[in-house]
Amino acid sequence: MTEPTTLDPPAAPLPEAAADGGVPPVRRRGGDAWYELRRRPLFWCSAAVLLLAGVMAAVPSLFARLGPNEQCDLLRAKQGPAGGHPFGWDVQGCDYWSQVVHGARPSLLVGTAVTLFALAVSVVLGSLAGYFGGAVDAVLSRVTDVFFGLPFVLGATVVLTAFPGHGIWAVTLVLVALGWTTMTRIMRSQVIAVRESDHVLAARALGAGHLRVMTRHILPNAFAPVFVVAMLNVGNVIAGEATLDYLGVGLQYPTVSWGLQLNMAQDFYADHPHLLVFPALFLSVTVLSFLLLGDAVRDALDPRLR
Amino acid sequence: MTRLVRPARWGAAALAALLASTACGGTGGGGRGDSAAPDGSYSVALTEPDHLTPGNTTSSYSIDVLNGVFDTLVTLDPADGHPVMQAAQSVTSTDQRTWTVRLRPGQTFQNGEKVTARSFVDAWNAAAYGPNGWANNYYFANVEGYKELNPEDGGPAPRTKALSGLRVVDDLTFTVRLTAPFSPFPMTLAYTGFAPLPRAAFTDPRRFDVHPIGNGPFAMDGDWQHNQRITLKKYAGYRGPRPAKGAGVVFRIYASKDTAWTDFQAGRVDLVLNVPPAHLPQARRLLGDRLRGTPSGTMDYLGFPVYDKRFADPRLRKAFSMAIDRRAVVDAVFNGAYQPMASLLAPNVPGYRKDACGEACTYDPAKAKQLLAQAGGFHGPLELWFSNADSSYEQWMTAVANQLRQNLGIDRVAFRKVPASDYLSALSGRKETGPYRNNWVMDYPSAQDYLEYMWGDGNRMGWHNQRFLDLLKRANSAPGLDAATPLYQQAEDIALAELPMAPLWNWTDYSAWSERLRGVRPDPYVSLRLDQITVK
Repeated sequence: MTEPTTLDPPAAPLPEAAADGGVPPVRRRGGDAWYELRRRPLFWCSAAVLLLAGVMAAVPSLFARLGPNEQCDLLRAKQGPAGGHPFGWDVQGCDYWSQVVHGARPSLLVGTAVTLFALAVSVVLGSLAGYFGGAVDAVLSRVTDVFFGLPFVLGATVVLTAFPGHGIWAVTLVLVALGWTTMTRIMRSQVIAVRESDHVLAARALGAGHLRVMTRHILPNAFAPVFVVAMLNVGNVIAGEATLDYLGVGLQYPTVSWGLQLNMAQDFYADHPHLLVFPALFLSVTVLSFLLLGDAVRDALDPRLR
Repeated sequence: MTRLVRPARWGAAALAALLASTACGGTGGGGRGDSAAPDGSYSVALTEPDHLTPGNTTSSYSIDVLNGVFDTLVTLDPADGHPVMQAAQSVTSTDQRTWTVRLRPGQTFQNGEKVTARSFVDAWNAAAYGPNGWANNYYFANVEGYKELNPEDGGPAPRTKALSGLRVVDDLTFTVRLTAPFSPFPMTLAYTGFAPLPRAAFTDPRRFDVHPIGNGPFAMDGDWQHNQRITLKKYAGYRGPRPAKGAGVVFRIYASKDTAWTDFQAGRVDLVLNVPPAHLPQARRLLGDRLRGTPSGTMDYLGFPVYDKRFADPRLRKAFSMAIDRRAVVDAVFNGAYQPMASLLAPNVPGYRKDACGEACTYDPAKAKQLLAQAGGFHGPLELWFSNADSSYEQWMTAVANQLRQNLGIDRVAFRKVPASDYLSALSGRKETGPYRNNWVMDYPSAQDYLEYMWGDGNRMGWHNQRFLDLLKRANSAPGLDAATPLYQQAEDIALAELPMAPLWNWTDYSAWSERLRGVRPDPYVSLRLDQITVK
C-alpha cells in the first residue's frame, strides 16, 4: 500500500516495460491477488472444504437421508455408530449424521451474514470517520469505543436472555452489534492514511466531490486490510455463535446447529463421546478453513507480510 | 465425505482416551487432607440459599441448613413419613380445627434463651403478617385471623400484628384455631416455616438472617459467608431428642451442581445431595454403595393453559399425554434415574395409586392421534414453556416436542425458554401460551399438599371444578387419614379425567458421600439428617 493505485482505470503499462517485452504485463490489484492465491495449495484445500460445507448448508438432502429432527426414536438414544448410521444417534434418538449435516446451515448462514453486515457497517462508519475527521470522527470513534468495551459473551447473553423466543436473525443482529468495532477502527485508520496521499489531493484539486473521492479513490486503496479481517472474522463468528448455542442462549429448537449439539453433548460426553466429537469436528474444520482462507487472502493482498 | 469421516474416528479415539483419563483421575472423595473441614466435622455441598430466617425462605438449600439449626415441633418418620414429636411433646385436637400444642420442657435457644410458647407464636405472627413480606406467609392462610393480617393490594395497613387464631395458654402450651377442620395439620408442622424464633430475631433481623440462632442440635459457627460457606458446630446445651453425633458441618456453597460434583471427585467435599442424573453412570462405577438414590416427593408435570380455547377440550389434553413415551424420555435424558408416573401423587404420599391415571398416561400414539382428530385437531404453532434453570429441562422438552411432532403430526413446535427468575411469575400471571413444565417439591407427605396447591383455587391452568373442590374440602376435614384418603382419591380421579395437567415422572434424589462419613441415610421426607452423620 505504499504506492497508491486505483482499480479503475488500470494503470497504463510503462513504456519501457512494454518496449522490453520480457516483463510480464502489469496486472490490476485484484488480478495480482488472484494470481498469488492460485499458487497456494492451502487456499485450494480450504476453499474445497468450504465449498463442501456450503453445499451441505444449501442442499442438505444431498447428504442426509432424513430431515432435521425427523424419525427420532428415543429407544436408540445416545447409541454409537452402527450400520446405516455412521455417526450413531443423539440424545433424542435422531440419526446423528443427518443432524450434523443439517447443523451446517445456521452456522454458515450466521457466519457470512454477520460478517457481511458488520463489514458494511464498518466500511461506512470507518470511511466517514477517517475522511471527515473532526467532530464526525470524535463522535463515531467514541461510539465505537463504547461498543468495543462490551464483553462479547456477557453482552450477547444479557441481550438474548432478555428476548426469549428469538430466531436466527436476532442472533445475527446481536453478533453484528457486538462485532463491527474492530473492522471500523481498521477502516478508519486506513482511510486516514490514504486521505492525504497525492492522488487523492489531485482528485480533490480537480474538483471531485466527497462521494466520488471516497468511493473511487480512497475506498479501493483502503479496503484490502478490512477485507482480510472480515475473512478471518467469519470463522470467529461461527465459533461465537456456537458458543452462544452452547451456553443455551443462542439458537433454539427446532433449529439444528453444531453449537446446540455440543450443548446437548455436554452432560453426556463422558459416557458417549461420539455426541461431542462429530459436531466439534465439523465445527472446527469449518472454522479452521475460514481462518486459513483469510490467511491466504491476506498474504495475496499484502505481499509485505509474506 | 470420507475425508471428513476418517479423521473423526481418530478424534473420537483420542478424545475418549483423554476423557477416560480425566474422569477416572479422581478417587471419588477419598478424604485427603484438603477436605476443608476440621477434625470431627464434615463438609456438604450446597447452593447459595436466599435467607436463613426460617419463616422467610422456601428454598430447599436454606432448609438443608435450617434443619440442623432449628428443631421444628414435629419431624417426619424416615420410614413412612408419619409425624414424630420433636420440639413438641404433643399436638392434639378433638375436632381437627382447634389444635393444642404442648412443648417439651427444658429447651433453650443457642444464646441461652428459653424456648416457650411465645417463641412459636411470635414467629408465626411475623410470617403471617403481610407487610413483612416473608416467603412462608401463605402457609398460615388456614389459621384464623390471616385475612386481617393480609389485606388486599392497596387496602389499608392491618390494624393488628397477631393472628387471632393463636393463643398462648401457659409457658409451654398454645392453641391454634384454623378456619376449617384440617386433619393433616400436625404433619405440616415439620416444615421449617413453623420453627420458633428467639427475641434476637426481632431486635436485629438483618443480623439474624446471616447468623440465625435456633433450638436445634447445631449452632452457627460464625456468620454466613455469602457464596462461600456456612459453618455449624455442635450445640452443647441441646436437650432434645436428636443430639448431634458429629462435631460440626461445613456447607460449601457452589454456583453449579456440576462444579460440586467435580469437587466431590477431587475429595474436597464429603457429601453431595443432588448428583446430576447425567453423571450417574460414572458415579455408579466410582462409588458403589456410597451413592444412594432415594425416591423423593418431587414430581414433573406437563400443564395445559385450559383458559386458552385451543386446550379447552380434555380429549386434546389426553391425546398430548398419550403421545409422550414417559419411560423412553426418562431412560434417554435422565439415564433411567426417575420413575415414569401415572398418578398425580408421588409414591411416598399416603393414598398413592400406581395406575390412577390409567389409559391417559399410557403411551399409545395411534389412540392419541385418534383422540386429537376427535377433538378437532390442533391449530397454530405450539409453544412449549420451561425455564432455563437447568439444561435437563430443555433436553426432556425436546424429546416431548419430537414425540408431539411425530405422533400427533403437529409441525410447528417452538420453545419459550424463560429466565428462571421470571418463570414462576409468568405462570402465576397465566401468560403461558402452550403446555408448560410444572414441578412440585413436596412440603409434607399429604395428598392435600399436591391436590390443593396445584389444582385448587387460583391454579395456573385456569381449571375449575366444583366437585373437585368440594371433595377436597370434605377430605381436609375428615377425622383421620383412613377417612380422608378415599376422598382425596376421588378428587384425584376428577383431575385425571379432565387432565388439566398430566403427570410425567417422579424424581429420585441421588446422594453421594466420601469414605470418611458414617450414618448417611437419606430418606424421602427429610433430605438431610445432619445430626446422625459421623466422621470416621
